[in-house]
Amino acid sequence: MMNCEEFELRGLDLDRPDANPEAAAEAANHVHVCGRCSALLELWREVKGELRLLRDATQMNSAPMRVEMRLKQELRTRREERVPRGSVAIAVWALAAAAVLAISFGWVRTRENANKASNAAPAGTPTVASVPNVLGATDSGMLLAADYDTGEFTELPGSMPSQSNDRTVLQVRMQRGALARFGLPVEQERAAEWVSVDFLVGEDGQPQGVRLHRDSPMTPVTQ
Amino acid sequence: MMKIVEEKPDALLKRAAKGDEQAFLLLYQRHQAPLYRYALRMTGSPWAAEEVVQEVFLLLIREPQKYQAERGELGAFLFGVARNRVLKHLERTPREASLDVLSAYGSPWREPEDPLTPMMIAEKRERIEQVREAVLALPAEFREAVVLCELEEMSYEEAAQACGCPLGTIRSRLHRGRALLLAKLELLRDVPRRASAGAK
Repeated sequence: MMNCEEFELRGLDLDRPDANPEAAAEAANHVHVCGRCSALLELWREVKGELRLLRDATQMNSAPMRVEMRLKQELRTRREERVPRGSVAIAVWALAAAAVLAISFGWVRTRENANKASNAAPAGTPTVASVPNVLGATDSGMLLAADYDTGEFTELPGSMPSQSNDRTVLQVRMQRGALARFGLPVEQERAAEWVSVDFLVGEDGQPQGVRLHRDSPMTPVTQ
Repeated sequence: MMKIVEEKPDALLKRAAKGDEQAFLLLYQRHQAPLYRYALRMTGSPWAAEEVVQEVFLLLIREPQKYQAERGELGAFLFGVARNRVLKHLERTPREASLDVLSAYGSPWREPEDPLTPMMIAEKRERIEQVREAVLALPAEFREAVVLCELEEMSYEEAAQACGCPLGTIRSRLHRGRALLLAKLELLRDVPRRASAGAK
């Protein structure tokens, strides 16, 4: 048999659809014999009815349309943001790829230059500057401009570049006109002029390059 | 269109996360009303309820990955988010007594279908307003139990699941909520109805 304390705890569930049937039956029996609990149940039923009215009055409520509009706007903004963000990502990757290519290209070029430098003749060995097409040169006045500062020889026409380092420098004083024998064009007006010339002679005894000696006037050998 | 309606919530959510407006609106229309009503009944403020709903769905737009289908249904997840927001709101404004009348709930007063005199209508309206006030005056945990079990008419099990607490906790909260509600109504009406109310 349910007492008043138990009724207060479970008795008001009497009308609930998920109420325990046994407890509901006990509560109903208790109400028949207890005026206080009967009044409590009556009051609760009244309040329950009012709660139902309150529920019905608000049952059709939903968020106002402006909430939907704001959310739609947010969704659109995010969608629009996503597209430029994709473009920026592509641009960044493209820039990064271009930078990598440029760095690689620069590195290859640097390596090539370093290889060229290491393949050049050792220090102290005279070098020969190649002057292709000497005989076929035009009247532009650029031939045999032997450079005293660097000590480079101008390659003689028809000479074969030697792989050997065994070469000697032969210093001679001669008339400028004699240079014509080595296939170099000479100005006729200055042919009688005396000049000091260095010849680079290979191990086969053949001259390979020529340069004006430092004592000579700073004019080109020929032309 | 029918195909979209039948689509599962997580599939809709994936599409919505990619910016599919139609998919998002379907999810919104399915879930917004119960969330709004819950927030409204808990806070008593249409503005607060509106803000709660907006925040819940903004979270869904901004961080859809927070919902994991294997951990439960989307509705339950959204309710959990709404509940947290409501409780935070109540913490910020613990005793925010709404002075609005019933129309503040956002819908106009609906006349009952049965023929009543203007006097009876006014009396009924007043009683509902008193109940609303009494519910809003309950401490948040008891109010939640009353809102879920009496207004939303959830079973104890459903309410326990929604609140993430044991069944017994919901029962005791509801018992306490009912007692406070009755006491509050007696005080509001200034008429002790229980014969033993004064004696106890």
